[in-house]
Amino acid sequence: MSAQSQTSQGDVEARRTSSSLAGMSPARETLLVWGLQAVILAACLILWEVAARQGWISTFLFASPSRIFDVLTRQFASGQLFNDVKVTTMETVLGFIVGGVGGSIIGLALWYSPLVARLTRPFIAAVGSIPVLAVAPLIIIWFGTDITSKVVIVAFSCVVVSLMSSYSGAQQVDQDEINLMRSFGATRNQIFLKVVVPSSMTWVISGLKLNIGFALIGAIVGEYISSESGVGHSILVGSANFAIDTVLAGLLVVMILVTCFNAIVRVLERWILPWKYA
Amino acid sequence: MQAKLEARNISHSYTSNRNVAEVLRDLNFHADENEFISFVGPSGCGKSTLFNIIAGLLTPTGGEVRIQGETSTGKPHPSLGYVLQKDLLLPWRTIMDNVILGLEVRGVDRKTAVERARPLFEDYNLKGRENDYPSALSGGMRQRAALMRTLVMDPEILLMDEAYKALDYPLKIALESELLETVRRLRKTVIFVTHDIEEAVTLSDRVYVMKARPGQIIKEIKVDLGVESTDVQDRRMAPAFNHYYQLIWKSIAQQSLPAKNRKVA
Repeated sequence: MSAQSQTSQGDVEARRTSSSLAGMSPARETLLVWGLQAVILAACLILWEVAARQGWISTFLFASPSRIFDVLTRQFASGQLFNDVKVTTMETVLGFIVGGVGGSIIGLALWYSPLVARLTRPFIAAVGSIPVLAVAPLIIIWFGTDITSKVVIVAFSCVVVSLMSSYSGAQQVDQDEINLMRSFGATRNQIFLKVVVPSSMTWVISGLKLNIGFALIGAIVGEYISSESGVGHSILVGSANFAIDTVLAGLLVVMILVTCFNAIVRVLERWILPWKYA
Repeated sequence: MQAKLEARNISHSYTSNRNVAEVLRDLNFHADENEFISFVGPSGCGKSTLFNIIAGLLTPTGGEVRIQGETSTGKPHPSLGYVLQKDLLLPWRTIMDNVILGLEVRGVDRKTAVERARPLFEDYNLKGRENDYPSALSGGMRQRAALMRTLVMDPEILLMDEAYKALDYPLKIALESELLETVRRLRKTVIFVTHDIEEAVTLSDRVYVMKARPGQIIKEIKVDLGVESTDVQDRRMAPAFNHYYQLIWKSIAQQSLPAKNRKVA
């Protein structure tokens, strides 16, 4: 008991000192962290490659970094990589705009009518509880096998999260700010546009951030079910042929895509919420 | 002469489930042109409710408020502007955009609005801060900006609720002095709601003392410190100050302290 409390005491001490490594400036500390992360990644890749070449692990089951790289160069040379990324990005971005942005607008607009918000709440929750995987085949049947159906699937995976998030934001608006607007004689539309929308923006953005992941899941799921191209299609074909290197190359591309989308939304956030970063 | 603002038999009760809570009972008061009046009372005397009723944000369950002879219709009156303890500067707008918010709402184009706001930035020492966001300003600057946002609308009546409560003492004195100078120069009517007796005495021409549960006016005191200066510290030092302070304190203490603690000479 006393030993345990001593360790936790020690942990606290350790945390306190680690937050400023030897009096290092925050910028240098960040650089150090990045450097170490790169070293860890490189070590893992090298270990993997060596293990594959020495025959410690089966390349059939686990491929190897160099094989994955080969697959990517081949796909790049044939133009398949570019085409797959283009198709998946299109599906994701369009679906994200329809579902994420559309959902946000609906969520904010529910501020106008608490009655409608209350009436629709259980239905929205019901739609939100449907797993995208369960509804995707149906959407393919309704909208066909081309890009439209994937956009619909992506939109479906985004819409409820954005709607809920922006609706919560609109509910949190300071009543005193609304009263202030009323004292200036503001109309409901003016209150909505000048106070409700901007003050909910942090919530809207956090909903959109969550949706980046959901959007890509939607696109990949749609491609798994029926597609002629796209990163998900490439992964599906790879796994059907037991081409593990192709599958892993696809996963790598998905990871890079998510990173890019996150970066874009962060830039967007700084542009929409300049006052948060002033 | 007609009062700028007149309240007749204001009563208000909140009803929740089967409980009725009486907050205000039969309030009668008025504020004349160029007059500074205060409401002072213990917590629970319904100051916030009274504020909302005067502001036109709440319709009283009884009685009426007349602003320049017109009966208030439960909508904020255009000739009335208010300032709260919370400065309510919108964090996503620059100081300039906050100050011109009301003009923007009334449809004044941006250029004209900015022209009208600019002199105020000089008067209140905020020149150069027009494009800052509120988060970059100190509490005193923010409260000044909030006052500017109200003044730029040129209201005839200023309604203020504990506007300087959250500020430290020297800043509070400075801002109160500025306020007094401004409202005298512009001949505004001010209705000030506070629980700070000192603030009420130094600023007001007339003080309404209230008691709690239900909120009622128990005394009306005309204040004449015999000091012309708008410097609040000068007014605080006036010989007559203590007299008024005692007078108000006694009426509040009589109502709100338990009997054994009453030390009223």
